[in-house]
Amino acid sequence: MTAIPLWVRRPAGERVGWLRTVDHKEIGVLYIGMGVAFFALGGLEALLLRAQLARPEERFLDPETFNQAFTVHGVTMILLAVVPLLVGFANYLVPLMIGARDVAFPRLNALSFWLSLAGGIVLYFSFLAGGAPDTGWFSYAPLAERAFAPGTGVDYYIVGLAVNGAGTIIGAINLAVTILLMRCPGMAISRVPLFVWMTLITSILILGAYPALTAALVMLLVDRGLGGHFFDPAGGGQAVLWQHLFWFFGHPEVYIMILPAMGMISEVIPVFSRKPIFGYAFVAGSSVAIAFLSFGVWAHHMFAVGLGDTENAIFSATSMLIAIPTGVKIFNWIATMIGGRLRMTTAMLFAVGFIAMFVIGGLSGVSLAVVPIDLAVTDSYYVVAHLHYVLFGGTMLGIFAGAYYWFPKMTGRLLGEVLGRWHFWTAFVGLNLTFLPQHWLGAVGMPRRVFTYAADTGWGPLNLISTIGAAILAIAIAIFLVNVVRSLRSGEIAGDDPWDAFTLEWSTTSPPLPENFATIPAVTGRRPLWDRKHPELRDAR
Amino acid sequence: MRPPADAIATLSLIVGAIALLIFIGVEGALVYAIWRYRAARHVAGEPATFERNRRLEIAWTAAPAVILAVVFVLTLGTMAEINGAGVAPAMRIAATGHQWWWEFSYAGVATANELHIPVDTPVDLELTSADVIHSFWVPELGPKMDMLPGVTNRLRLFARRAGSYDGQCAEFCGIEHAWMRIRVVAQSRAEFDTWLSAQAAPAPHGSEGERVFLANICVNCHAVRGTSAAGTAGPDLTHVGARTMIGAGVLPNDVARMRAWLADPERYKPGTLMPSVPLSDADLDAVAAYLVSLR
Repeated sequence: MTAIPLWVRRPAGERVGWLRTVDHKEIGVLYIGMGVAFFALGGLEALLLRAQLARPEERFLDPETFNQAFTVHGVTMILLAVVPLLVGFANYLVPLMIGARDVAFPRLNALSFWLSLAGGIVLYFSFLAGGAPDTGWFSYAPLAERAFAPGTGVDYYIVGLAVNGAGTIIGAINLAVTILLMRCPGMAISRVPLFVWMTLITSILILGAYPALTAALVMLLVDRGLGGHFFDPAGGGQAVLWQHLFWFFGHPEVYIMILPAMGMISEVIPVFSRKPIFGYAFVAGSSVAIAFLSFGVWAHHMFAVGLGDTENAIFSATSMLIAIPTGVKIFNWIATMIGGRLRMTTAMLFAVGFIAMFVIGGLSGVSLAVVPIDLAVTDSYYVVAHLHYVLFGGTMLGIFAGAYYWFPKMTGRLLGEVLGRWHFWTAFVGLNLTFLPQHWLGAVGMPRRVFTYAADTGWGPLNLISTIGAAILAIAIAIFLVNVVRSLRSGEIAGDDPWDAFTLEWSTTSPPLPENFATIPAVTGRRPLWDRKHPELRDAR
Repeated sequence: MRPPADAIATLSLIVGAIALLIFIGVEGALVYAIWRYRAARHVAGEPATFERNRRLEIAWTAAPAVILAVVFVLTLGTMAEINGAGVAPAMRIAATGHQWWWEFSYAGVATANELHIPVDTPVDLELTSADVIHSFWVPELGPKMDMLPGVTNRLRLFARRAGSYDGQCAEFCGIEHAWMRIRVVAQSRAEFDTWLSAQAAPAPHGSEGERVFLANICVNCHAVRGTSAAGTAGPDLTHVGARTMIGAGVLPNDVARMRAWLADPERYKPGTLMPSVPLSDADLDAVAAYLVSLR
């Protein structure tokens, strides 16, 4: 057994180095580790929720525990699992992909990770400090005001999210500056890998969106702690103000979570189709359009608030518009596969699974932009189904594609393909069993966030199916974790370029040298490694 | 007018059909690409590189835009229709959300949790909240609308058939969000008028249960018109016996269940703001019988 490489496990005497590392690869691994740990916690919370909902009028969880569990599940998955996983991959890969030795500000990079983690720890400390937040992940005022949430849970939510957000904002500045200023010779912005493009756009989205959340959190803290009235109508404030501020963050946040995963499959699909991405300019440009529009759609979360028909119509139009650049990407991925020679590795299976599932989430998303349909199904399980098709069917399958694809680069060993296939198919079956029935439950009247439902509603059987699906999903995740542990110990040695890939990270060793490259590469096209391997078939762009 | 729920159902069918066609097209293309171009079907070697086709890309950008433009126009039409554009309401009812029950008020006659409306009549609910944000949602009668403190929203209801329609609060509003159910009873105009005049009458006097009720903390939160009980924190109980459910939908309404509810509300609705009132068994029997008799 060869030594397990530095980027996964330092030698016994040097482990404390993880605490003071400023290496982008190690910080990337730390972020990914944080994401996996919180994903496991969020998953356990989801299993508790599904167990309670398996039967009508079940008493497995009391309502207070249920409300804490769904609140923390949402916050965990969005801010402490998905975002750190995506930022972790970006941290690890961006400098390698653009031919740099590190990010622009390595020490700031460490700060952003430790702040992000600290925010998560503050949030979870609330369980020990008298109760977790119980007002939902978007924690609407006035329910989150002191008068209706007198415990300290919401205070931990405020401080945890603000600290975590500060880390995310600092990390976004770092990645954006790195991509703008540290590309190797010849790496024009029109040649960077699409994962890098998506990371750049995501970073800009973070810089626009997170400060709105921070501001809202501070206002809520003032209301709760200092007797303010920002969101308290009795004191001259406005309950709806919180929703505007929160969703001005919250909707771009959706794209912050989906664009990097789209970037991942935009790397995986070309390599396993043996073709360059179809319509690079359209994929990159459509992401700019998505980023721009994403700041103008927030009130589609608020159609039932009573803003008025004119306002609702405007936000309906912008929300439909954003479907166009999103659809373009799907066509480009399929066109990349057409005429290719597809190797259906596990990474490719997950990338294709992303497309298949994201289409469902995208179409239900368009239906939610249709105001009358939204008024029927918003705040119901239909929305729960929609967002999980986007975030599990989309983002998480994309992250798994990225995990199978880049694990060999990070560790020097391949993830097992046999377990990988089991992982994929159990996840595919589990996620559809869990979330497909929820569309129907929402349409017939099951609101989200109910800790139980009356037997006479008839919602029992579909909820039971959903719970069984969640158990299958848990098995899928367990298979993945077993695969990771086994592959770390005894996986097949990968070599520098196991996938016969196109981009610069595969031109260095697996795992990469501490300084990434012996000499800084120079590139002349979008697929520098392809150009090197096929000088006679050099890319024109 | 057409019931808002019907207008939404029609629009949903159209949008659903379009979505289904797109779904079949895209998933079909994906499956075709995998089947047709999988490596096993090919000899070794790299495939031909083609990486753009401007016309094709413009086409698949423009086509969704056209489809969405059509959907948007349909959306605008249905939005106006479900709002009751051009059809004046024949009746206005004030509805106020409370943690965790509904207050309905017909020009001075207050009731709770069960909303009676006449069929074939456009009714406007004027929605507000006494505490946090709630959302009024009866799926078979139409869209939902949020109830916000300090704001009055309007929701058009229109029931074509007589009957009982169930719904519940759709905006998470605290610990008992799940047990904040609504029952809408749609009845003929004559039945509705009979019901409303019965509701307008004060409660009858003289029972032992009434004496116990008025002598205890019940009156701090509840009103019974015609007595000294005038609390407003909880539901008006003047005709509580005429309702089908107790506690915004947790229990069917009869003397035995009413007694069990009064003895220990926390057991049926954990977190409810109603305290359990320490009463002797005889007093519990009397109050339960009294309340259910208030028809």
